[in-house]
Parts: sequence; C-alpha cells; structure tokens
Amino acid sequence: MTEQNITNNDAPSNDQTEVTQQSSVSRRTFLKASAAGGTAAFLGSMAVFSQLQTAQAQASEGELLYPLLDPINQIYSVCLQCNTGCGIKVKLLDGVAVKIDGNPYSPMTMYPHVTYETPVKEMGTVEGAVCPKGQSGLQSVYDPYRLVSVVKRKPGTSRGGGEWETISFEQAIEEIVEGGDLFGEGNVPGLRESYALTDPKVAKDMAAAVKAIQSEKDQDAKRTLIAEFQTTFADYLDTLIDPEHPDLGPKNNQVVFSWGRLKAGRSEFYRRWIGQGFGSVNAHGHTTVCQGSLYFTGMGMSHQLVDGKWSGGSKAYWQADLGNAEFAIIVGSSIFEGGYGPPLRTPSLTENTVENGMRFVVVDPRFSKTAAKAWKWIPAVPGSEGALAMGLIRWVIDNERYDARYLSATNKAAAAEIGEPTWTEAAWLVKINEDGTPGKFLRASEIGLREKEERPLSTDDTKTYEFDYFVALVNGEPVAVDPNTDVPEDAIFGDLLIDGEVEGIRVKSGLQIIADSSRERALEEWAAICDVNINDLVSIAREFTSHGKRAVADIHRGVSQHTNGFYNVFAWYTLNALIGNFDWAGGLVWASTFGTTSGYASVSDADKKQAPFGTTIIRSEAYENNSLFLRDGYPARRNWYPLATDIYQEIAPSIGDAYPYPVKALFLYMGSPVYSLPAGHTNIDILRDPQKLPLFIASDAVIGETTMYADYIFPDTMYLERWEFHGSHPNVPFRIQPLRNPAIDPLVPDVTVYGQPMPLSLEAMLLGLAERLELPGFGENGFGEGLPFKHQDDLYIRMAANLAIDREPVPDADEEEMRIFVESRRHLRSSVFDVERWQAIAGELWPKVVYVLNRGGRFQNFSGGYRETSRGKQLGNRFGKLVNIYQEKTYDARNAMTGERLKGYAYYTPAATGLLGEKLDELDAQEGFDLRLITYREIAQTKSRTASNYWLLGVLPENFVLMNVADATARGLIEGDMVRIISPTNPAGEWDLGNGNKVPMVGKVKAVQGIRPGVIAVSLGFGHWAYGSTPVTINGVTVPADERRGRGLHINAALRTDPHTPNTTLVDPVGGSAVFYDTLVRVEKV
Amino acid sequence: MPEINDAQQSRRNFLKMLAGTGGAAAVLPVVDAFAADPEAVLAKLVQQTTASDNIDFSELDVLERMRFELLRALQKTPAERRWVMVIDLRKCVGCHSCTVACIAENKLPPGVVYRPVIEEEIGEYPNVARRFVPRPCMQCDNPPCVPVCPVDATYTNEEGIVEMNYERCIGCRYCLTACPYSARTSDFGYTYTQGNANGDGFILGSDIAENYERAANFEYGKQYPRDEGRNSPIGNARKCHFCQHRFLNGQLPACVTTCIGRATLFGDANDPDSLVASLIASPNVMRLREELGTEPRVYYLV
Repeated sequence: MTEQNITNNDAPSNDQTEVTQQSSVSRRTFLKASAAGGTAAFLGSMAVFSQLQTAQAQASEGELLYPLLDPINQIYSVCLQCNTGCGIKVKLLDGVAVKIDGNPYSPMTMYPHVTYETPVKEMGTVEGAVCPKGQSGLQSVYDPYRLVSVVKRKPGTSRGGGEWETISFEQAIEEIVEGGDLFGEGNVPGLRESYALTDPKVAKDMAAAVKAIQSEKDQDAKRTLIAEFQTTFADYLDTLIDPEHPDLGPKNNQVVFSWGRLKAGRSEFYRRWIGQGFGSVNAHGHTTVCQGSLYFTGMGMSHQLVDGKWSGGSKAYWQADLGNAEFAIIVGSSIFEGGYGPPLRTPSLTENTVENGMRFVVVDPRFSKTAAKAWKWIPAVPGSEGALAMGLIRWVIDNERYDARYLSATNKAAAAEIGEPTWTEAAWLVKINEDGTPGKFLRASEIGLREKEERPLSTDDTKTYEFDYFVALVNGEPVAVDPNTDVPEDAIFGDLLIDGEVEGIRVKSGLQIIADSSRERALEEWAAICDVNINDLVSIAREFTSHGKRAVADIHRGVSQHTNGFYNVFAWYTLNALIGNFDWAGGLVWASTFGTTSGYASVSDADKKQAPFGTTIIRSEAYENNSLFLRDGYPARRNWYPLATDIYQEIAPSIGDAYPYPVKALFLYMGSPVYSLPAGHTNIDILRDPQKLPLFIASDAVIGETTMYADYIFPDTMYLERWEFHGSHPNVPFRIQPLRNPAIDPLVPDVTVYGQPMPLSLEAMLLGLAERLELPGFGENGFGEGLPFKHQDDLYIRMAANLAIDREPVPDADEEEMRIFVESRRHLRSSVFDVERWQAIAGELWPKVVYVLNRGGRFQNFSGGYRETSRGKQLGNRFGKLVNIYQEKTYDARNAMTGERLKGYAYYTPAATGLLGEKLDELDAQEGFDLRLITYREIAQTKSRTASNYWLLGVLPENFVLMNVADATARGLIEGDMVRIISPTNPAGEWDLGNGNKVPMVGKVKAVQGIRPGVIAVSLGFGHWAYGSTPVTINGVTVPADERRGRGLHINAALRTDPHTPNTTLVDPVGGSAVFYDTLVRVEKV
Repeated sequence: MPEINDAQQSRRNFLKMLAGTGGAAAVLPVVDAFAADPEAVLAKLVQQTTASDNIDFSELDVLERMRFELLRALQKTPAERRWVMVIDLRKCVGCHSCTVACIAENKLPPGVVYRPVIEEEIGEYPNVARRFVPRPCMQCDNPPCVPVCPVDATYTNEEGIVEMNYERCIGCRYCLTACPYSARTSDFGYTYTQGNANGDGFILGSDIAENYERAANFEYGKQYPRDEGRNSPIGNARKCHFCQHRFLNGQLPACVTTCIGRATLFGDANDPDSLVASLIASPNVMRLREELGTEPRVYYLV
C-alpha cells in the first residue's frame, strides 16, 4: 500500500502485486499518513478505502512510509564541510546516514530559529537550510578512499613516493615513540628522545629564569643572566635545545603539533597532549592562512587595560548583523559563497533587501554572487581596500558625519550615560614624538594632573600595581581619565579633535591622529589608488553615515590576506568606530559561546600543568627580547610576530631553515599546508627531507596533498562519527555552542588503548602515544585522583556536562526525550556509545547532557540576541568594552627586519610589499608580469577536502581561469583555451611534487564581463594531485585513482614568495596573514 | 536567566495562539506523526490552525509559515487544494543547495537532476548582472509529457502532481523530448561511487561507501532501493514531484527547506491567506514559456 494508491484516484489502478511488494507498512503508520493527508479524502473514495484495509491486513509493525521524519531516525549534530559549523540533522536508515538537513534549533539554519525548549519529538518534520556542501557531507564520510588502517611509508622508498604498508596500531605507536632504523635510512629519533625535560619542578624554575632573561632589555645584563642560567641548571643543560640560548627551551620543543581544522574538544585533547603532557610549546594552528590579520587586528582592538597593562585581547573579530542593517559595505567577502557562512547570513540579507529595501555595496574585483545582488559593485584594485577605507574615513571626518557623542565618551561611565555599550580612545591624548609620529598615551602623572594610585591586582588583591590615569581635554582643560570606571560622576566626555600642547608636551587626540592619517592624501587620490569613481566613494560614505547605528562595514579575507592586511582591517574597523556601531542591531557583532571547560569538571587541569616554556618555532614574540637578537641583530633571518600566533606558513619553512632551532618530529592533524598555503609548494622539499625533518606523523582521513609526504598516517574518524564543540562566529548575535557528536557508527575499526576498545582516530593515536610515554594528564588519574582519562568519553562527556550547566542550566530530558535519545543511537557500537558509561561520567547531570545532545548543542533563543534600549535596538550579547582605535601595545612592538616601531592607528600602506620593504609590483611588472592573480571560493568546494563530494562535482566539475573578456581578447584567448600560469617565483608554472612528479598549473579560460580587467581569479578546491586523484600503492596493491577528483587547477604554487625568505609566501609582517592576492602573473596559452 | 525567560515567553505565546488571541511562537505545532491516535492528532491540528489566524508571521522563518500553511492545506481534500511553487529570483543566490538536496533526497544517480539552477551573465563590465534560475518540473496543468507516453506511465495525479509510475514506464524517453522545460532525465542505473577502488582492508572501498546511494528513496510514498538488480526506477524516466512523499507527510519539499536565500516557496494557491497565493498575485510574477499554454504551477518573481 502506498501514497500513490491513496492519492491517485484517476490514475490506472494499482494491482495487488504492488501492494504485496510494499507490505511493510504498519497500521499505525498508515493511519498517520491518513491523518496528514486528510481523512475526508479517504472517506470520499470507497476504492481507496478498500485498499487501505488490504494494506492494514498486510502491514507488519514498526515501519513507516517515510521513516526519515521519525525522531528516532534523526540525530542532531554539526556540519564540518567548512568551518561555519551549521547545525545539522542527520537522517538515518538502518544505521546509514542517508540525508542531511539543517538543525532548526541552530540559528545557522533558520532565521529566526526554533525555540530551544521545543520537545524533540515535535521536530520530526522541521528542518532548516544548509548549503550544497552541507547537503553533500555524506560523500565526505562515505568516501571510498578513506583510510581504515594505519599506514607507514614503505621502507626504502622516499617520502611522497606513494608506496605504503599497513602497520598495526600498536606497532606504529612503538616505532614512533622508540625510534630506530624505521625506513632503512639509518636511525630515526623517536619521541622518547625528545621527551627530555620531565621534572616539573626543574621546568618551572627554568621557565622563571628564562622569563628573566627575556625581560632584561640591557644586552650585557642579558648575557650575564644567560651565564647564570648555565651555572644554575648545569645538571640539566643536556635537556635544552641549545644551552647558549636557554630561552629556546627544552628539547621537548623539538616535537611540533600542527593542525588545520581543530575545534574545541579535540583542541583540549591535542593541546593537553603536547603542552602539559609532552611539555612542548609548539602547538600551532592554521589561522593565518584563513584570515590571520582579521584575528590579530581584532585582538589588538580588544585588549583592555587590566592592572595597568594592555592585555586580554581575544583572537577574534567582528562581523555585521546584516539582518538589521539598513546599509552595509561588504568588502573582500562573498557571504553567499563563503565567509562564515551562507546558510546563516544569506536569508538575513535576501529578506532584508527584498522585503525591507536594505541596500549593500560589494567591494570585490570579482563580480561575485553577492555582488550580483548588490546596490553597487565596486571592483577596486586588489590590495587597495585600506585606501578605500581611508578615503571614506576622510570624507566622514571632513564632513563631520561621525557620531561625535559616541566618540567623545572616554570611559565606561560616559558610555553608560549615553546608552553606548562600547567606547574608544578618540578623545584620549596621545604624545607626539619629535619626528611628529604618534607615540604613547599621555598619562595624568606626567603633567601633574593626578598622581598614580596604588590599586589591588585583579588576580591577587593582596598585591598592588600603580595605576596612572589617561588624559583627555574637556572644553580645553585636561581631565584625568580612568577608562574602566563605571562611577557615573566619573563619566568624561572629551574634546575630539585636538592638536596642541599640554604642559609643554606635544599631543593629539586619538581622532585627530586618525583624521591626519586620512588626510595624508586628497579624496581624489584615495579614489585613484583604488580606481574607484569618486562619486561612488562619496555616495557610499554618505549612505554609511545616513542610517545611525544601522550601517556597517563587513570585511573578510579580501581585506586581510595582503601584506598590508593588519592595517587594512584596522582602517575598516576604524570606519565602523566613527559611527559607533559596535553591539548595535544592524552593526557589528562579537561572538558569544557557552563554555565547555569547567563547571561540572575542569578539563584544563591548570594546577598540575607542567608549563612548557621557550620560543616557538613560529616565533610569536618580540625578537628584541630573544637571545637570538644578541646573535643576529636586524634584520632577523625570518620574521618574528609579537602580535600574532598560529602562523601556518611559518611551520614547515622554519623547520626547513632550522630557525630558530631544528625540529625532530612534526605531527599534522586535519591540515594540508602544501595545498592550502599560498606558495605551499615550498613546503614540499622540506617535508620530503628526513635530514630536515626526521619524523613526520599525520592524522588524516584520506591520503592528501600534504600527508602523502608523511612517514605514518593514522586514519581519523569523520565529522559524523566524532565529537567536537564547534563554537560560534562573529556574525552570530546569539550565544551558542553547537555540539558535534557521533551520528553514525565509525567506519574505522576499533583499537585497544589503556585496555579499552575505541575507534581508530585522532583520539586513539594521542591516547596510544600517551600510554606508551606515560605522559602526565592521561591514564588512570588523568583528570585528578580517581578521574581517569583513558577514553574520549572521559573528556567529551565532561565537557558536554559543563556545557549543559553553563550560565543557566538546561532542563532535564524527560522520559520521552531519553527514549528518543537512546533509540536514535541504537546503531552505534559500544566503544562509541554506551549509555551506562556515559551516564557514569556525567553523574547527576546526565539528563541535562541528553537534553543538549538531543538538540545538537546549546542555542540561545532568538529573542535573547537583541534587546530594546531607550536609544534603540542593541545586541543581547555585547562586546561591551573599550574598542582600541589607538593601540599603544601595537606601537610598542617593532618590525623584526628594521627595528622600527609599528604604527598604533589605521593608516594606508601599499600591498605587495616584501619583508624588507621591496615594492614587488614594480619589480614584477618590469619583468612582464601583467595580471593580478586572486583566489576565491565557490560555494561548492571547501579548499582541500571536498574533492570527494561527487554531488558537488556534478554542480561544478572543475574550476577555471576567470578573466575579463577584454584581457582574453588582448591575449588572443577565447573561452575554453588552456593557459599556464607563470609567476615571478614559479617560472615553470608547475607544482614540483618531488620524485620526478610535476603537475602543471594549466587551466581552462573562462572569459567573463564580471571581473576587473587586469585581474584573473581561480577558485580554490580543485586541481588535486592526491586525495584519491592519483593512484597509490598499499601493501603492493595499487589503489586506482578517480580522475574526477583531480580536475581543474590549483594555483597556490604561483603565489609569490618573499625575497628575504624565498621558501615562504608573502606575509603580512604584523598580522601574520599568508598573502593570497598580491601576486602578478602572466598567462601562456598551451 | 534570559534563556529561561525566553522559554516562558514562548510558552505564553503558544498558549495565546491556541486561545486565538494572536502573538508569536517560535515553533508551530506539528502533526505528531507517531501518536497512538492519529485521529486525535488531526483534531488537534484543526483546532490549532483554526485558532491561529492572528499569528505574526514576521517573527517566524518563512519556512515555518509555509509548514504551517501546508498543514492547513492537508486538512482539505486534494481537489480543494492547488500546490504551486514560487521562486523569487531576487532571493536566489545560485548556491545550488536545492539541486544537491534533491539529489540526496530522491537518491538521484549521475545524469539525473530534477532541479538544476541555470546561471548566466548579462551586460558588460562594469555594468554586469548575474542571473540564477532554478528549474524544477513545472507540474503543468496541461503537461506535454503526458499524452506522448505510450503506456500511461505518467499522468497528473489527484494532487495535481505530474507523476511517474515507474512500474509501467518502459524507458522510451518520449516524455524527455516532449517536455519544453527539459525537466525529465533518464536513470541509467549508475551510482556516483561506481568504479572507485575496493577496500582490501586499508581503504573503505566503494562496496561499503556506496551504501548511502543504494538506500531506498521514498518517491510517491514507496521505497525504491537501488540494489544490484535493475529494478525501478532504474531504466525509467525521472522527474521532480514537488517531494510529494514529504508534503503529504507535513514536510515541505527538500528544495524549499534547504534554500538558503528563502527563494523557493511552496504551498496551496487555493488558500487565499497563504504566502504563495499572495505572491502569485504580485505584479512582478511570471511563468516560463507561457506561450505554450502548458499552464505551469511554478511561478517566478523577478
């Protein structure tokens, strides 16, 4: 019996054989269908009614006409096809995931989203929207090329040779820890050899001594301290990398953990292993390849004055609340195609534009799908984004269109008085150096305005520090400013545009410094740099300042991934600050999450931590403080990054240069620097060379473009099989914490660690290594006496319990929810899901953990995202602090090449600049390179890891060399011609994979009108040469390739390297960004 | 505290809604598909929909409004309702999520696409436009594909959906040619994973990976696993059916729920209060190839 019989009276009648074929329909189900279909319809037809009876007679209990809408066949989790982390609903049929849709509890997939307290049993037919990658996630999970055994590079073959042997999990752990002649190439040092400093007391004392060395500014005194160190720790010098440079730290640091996509949960796991477990400082993510300078400008803007010091800034940034904006400038971002992320941001924008008449501008050299819906498309010159912002700033200040009341508020009390959640240094006075450059803030004690005060430390109120007030002018008179006071009487509104002297000291106000910076060029000059029509510039500026707080500039990679990324970002956020849209509906949002690391059980275990110490291989510290500065001076051999961390492009090249020290073993988790980094090909020769890198271990699901060079690959579980706490993004106004949890039974086998079965995965690898090395923080008492850490559940269930009670605890799951929870997981094996085991860890919080898991995480309700105030609608979750539009901490940092101080305010500096100041565009243009190459992303691919998604390849089988018709015509090219991309640092136009294998950077021309002439664009995600697109050999058996996975071209190898560090991409020396958009190339027809 | 307050507020709104006094609720009542007494569920549904005329839809995702209207329509007889789809091209961002969602929902093999999105560029730099046009089956009231079928395997069913009877279809493909919208494709029995490597114990292999492709779909309320044989719908003509198996179960079509621009809208045009009824009366509405007299049930807003 079928729906067809019910609904199709007019069609040729179906015979009984069909009914028999389809006999597995229960009476219950059928009645359900009739309820949905409308009883009257059935009763109106006797023929149908008789068929109904037949079906009932033949039905067997327990199956549904459409079982996918039964809550017991649905698990709520989180997508990982990109990093947005949309909530998903995984629909299961006999344990197989057969469909993925949006989790409507999550604000990522519905707008507004469903109330959190809605019972799960009512949600069977409710689903939200996800993008095509989200829909295709099944194909990342059910990928035929997934590894299901640990593999080892075949001894006698070179890295990247494509010959592998399977090896047991236990044997792999033993070889990696103990080392030996593993590949017939001589001795390979195992991890144990680097696990040198294991005494926490000595480590703590050494760390303190190193801190003293680094803090000492006097060079001779620093040398003396080093000598003292060598005496004090004479017995332990063999545990150091280099006793002459004790600040490099212990040999433990020669083991490096790196990653591409690491989310909370696994992050706690991974960092615990390398940090407090192994004692290495080297745990480095991929941030700078994504949008490093957004994060680190955001950090600079979010530092607060804590105990007299600028600190506590978050590695985070702001994005726009587009659903409430009346006007938006979207710069270097295509929110319909990427940029955190289409399912959340698109409906707010399409609804707002079509239904409310909201307008937006897109600044992008490519006519993106977002630009296609814009009021204006501004195809500005790539790299000139900062100049456009400075032009807009100039117009806004010159025409006094800024929010003077907001900017005049110097402190928290003033902001509160006028109903502003944030405040700035616009009215603070900054001392001006003799050369006219802005320096530090003026302090009240310097002009005898107010003495310093002894104040208790926030961390320890038995100790004090000296607080020195800042200074603003009020009606021309100096007034002492405490930025953090909330005493209403101390609210201070300062004068905004000040350029003068106070007590003989030359000063300017913060806003004056910004005004002067914007007035370095005339409006026409700014427009000319960007090649933007000045009328457009003015109309955008006017519109931006015509909607109160409901105008916003939303920026992303196109702004940050230039050599001038930090200051581009700074300029755009400064523009936002001029109208003070932070924390306002329609303005800028700062992400909010529910916590996971404490509450029920602390998983950070800070007390027992053996604090690792020393310089990281990527050098996120001030060069001048390091003992290597004594040795080398300026310019540093490689750049140092006092304001940035997780500098992905520095990992392999620094290993290659053994700077600041050699590395013994590199772990890579879910990352592909060779593929993802600009000029990633430079990593290949380093990763291939056992002399430079003795041991290379990877955790990966498929043999990829980087892990193909590994010595060992441990298979990993995929996102539908594992745990992670995905966090939020800066455009989400709601407090959330999406929880990825196992939805299908892992397709990898179990292994045994600490006596327990667990899926072969990242977690198993880490636990296996910890067990063999007997690392602290793991095993029987890993989380403290009687609290084991021997299985992933020991961490993740505790974190889920922490999440369940963060702030306001969630309700308990009732009996019905418990039933759905257990039944929906009936297909998971006990090493993954065991109610008793989970319940034992969660204790009395178990019903709350179930409540959270049933919803795929925690999500604040829609109404909580906003609040009405007397001044209008603001965001419910606030940044609520000082926004640094003048950064003293940035001014304090120096360029590691020249020793010059950095600028603490927004200014324009040209893109395509080398570390030593080379004007690369001019040099390269002279050599005949005439097209600017930019990359972009189609919504149908995610950089390195969706080539397995055949449904996406059906939509877009390959990428193109996107080029303006005029450029194509001028070169005698037509659509479909094949061209090779030649660049100054890749004259051959190819990927040299080693072992004699080369992949040409040749792609198909797509000639369009929708790109700025002089610019060519190639989307990321295509042109694979591993990941199943090339055959490999395992145990002598050839695994054939699937050529669909390798179509198109990948042009990162064309992106320019820096003349000073030729094994590394161009960088933003301040914000750390890897640079994607500053390379001139030429194309050659092939 | 805010979360709890929200919840309380929501419950209050929900009760208000039931009482017919209006107010917003963030989730609408659904058919409890698994209740022991479906008759009672239906009665409850009738009560709720009758009582909810004053819902402020502006406080709900349009998906929720349409789901609500779908449930209301399902209380009528098939003859009383008229399913239409409205595609607002101003909101379509060319993401192709509908295309892929449809493939996943209906287990479409390579070569079969029910809902492509056609992209084109218009104009000259810098005055350029890009247009994205999703093209499902139009579910014509006068479908050219039906009369050409030699075995009556395709017809307009009681819901107004142009349906395929896979058991009758002989795969002659006359209907593919007859459709002026190219809305029909043939199922040659391929899978996407076909031809990939086998497992051998070190990789997953296509034999296991293929399971999700072989699993049954639920078109027309039947189960059609793609097993090793060549059973229907392999060898048949295939086409969009507005996800009839979903909407008769109170769930919107897959292309509708996954539309990130909320450009695809679905409902009962005979319900004067429905979203789609209001939209097809817009001045900017159009249908594809009106001149053919096919009377499509898919409307475009431009």
